[in-house]
Amino acid sequence: MSHSIFRASALVLASLAATAGLSAHHSFGVAFDATKSVMLTGVITKIAWTNPHTHVWVDVKDANGQVVNWTLEGYPPNVLERTGWKKDVTLKVGDTLSFFGWRARDGSPYAHLREATLADGKKLFFGPPAGTGEGPATVR
Amino acid sequence: MRTAFLLIPCVLVASLAGAQTANVQPTPKTADGKPDLTGVYQASPRRGGWDAEAPGDEPGVPAPRTAVSISQTASDPIPFTPEARARAQEILNQRSIDDPTSRCLFAASPRITGVGLFPVQFVQTPAQMIILYEYMWTHRVIPIGAKHADDVSPSFMGDSVGRWEGNTFVVDVIGFKPGIWLTGGLVTSDALHLTERYTRVDRDQLNYEVTIEDPTVLTKPFTQRTTLMLREGTRLREYSCAENNMDPTVYEKMLKDPAASKSFIRGK
Repeated sequence: MSHSIFRASALVLASLAATAGLSAHHSFGVAFDATKSVMLTGVITKIAWTNPHTHVWVDVKDANGQVVNWTLEGYPPNVLERTGWKKDVTLKVGDTLSFFGWRARDGSPYAHLREATLADGKKLFFGPPAGTGEGPATVR
Repeated sequence: MRTAFLLIPCVLVASLAGAQTANVQPTPKTADGKPDLTGVYQASPRRGGWDAEAPGDEPGVPAPRTAVSISQTASDPIPFTPEARARAQEILNQRSIDDPTSRCLFAASPRITGVGLFPVQFVQTPAQMIILYEYMWTHRVIPIGAKHADDVSPSFMGDSVGRWEGNTFVVDVIGFKPGIWLTGGLVTSDALHLTERYTRVDRDQLNYEVTIEDPTVLTKPFTQRTTLMLREGTRLREYSCAENNMDPTVYEKMLKDPAASKSFIRGK
């Protein structure tokens, strides 16, 4: 019995390379470019705690001192709340937020937010890793 | 010295096996002696606590990763017909832009079962197995020991009937709509037939195996499997996908715009 349990777990671990490439809602690669990472700091102007994605808008000053309002996308509320986020508590309008993510393919100030660093230095994931849901490049 | 190097991996393997088998508790049983599948689970190779992140990801290490899926389902090679393979390649090239789930349509099992981010809840009675899915906030009510209804109408999740084969709960599923995106670019027909096998091998682990048949798009049946791990203390939370779904509008625009299309299609 115990051996079969271990075998079953090991089998799944060993077989993840064959994982079916499908996303929970949409694939990362349609909108975002995994080769264009971005790491910026700004002030939160708006939060939409909604499905299928939560969004946060952040004012970021660029190198010329111009303020650019970025749109950041991440997990839905059910996933965020299960991984330590609290609505209206963890993020509030006016808070400073540092974010790491990947830019939209169209070059607009829109990004997939992978990791958020809060004003107190705490780090939390806000969205899945780059490439999630894209599947292999060729059919297996 | 060489012996020491050989010993290290042996000790590691033994430790891993020990960790996997430690605290294994027996499968709960119902009053009538059947395995009791009741509980909240998450598709995962990991027993115990929540693991929203794939192994190897650590906060503070913002390195991009290679393409991965949040599906935890392992699959045999898919025996596509040539036409279905061409369609699957087209889907992969377009990075699944027109996936029905981007419009919040229901996904069939095994896809809905293997989405690790969203737990599933089993509620077992002597006459029915009820499976609640956080993903798309949907459910299946599976009669036990019944035949398929005479008036089955094609649906996204099909018509399910269950039976016990020893300690395994077996579900026969037919009556699907055509055009379901099931796995790895496979788009199925109304001939899709699933045979699912759920075996709770101990308190924490529910093994899931599904055989997929569809002679319209497959040259033979194939099998996928995953493990559903018990998540005590986890509850299902509402996922109302259509609430603020801006993606279809954006995607339709991208598909119509040649420049935007080039930006996401592989090989362009």
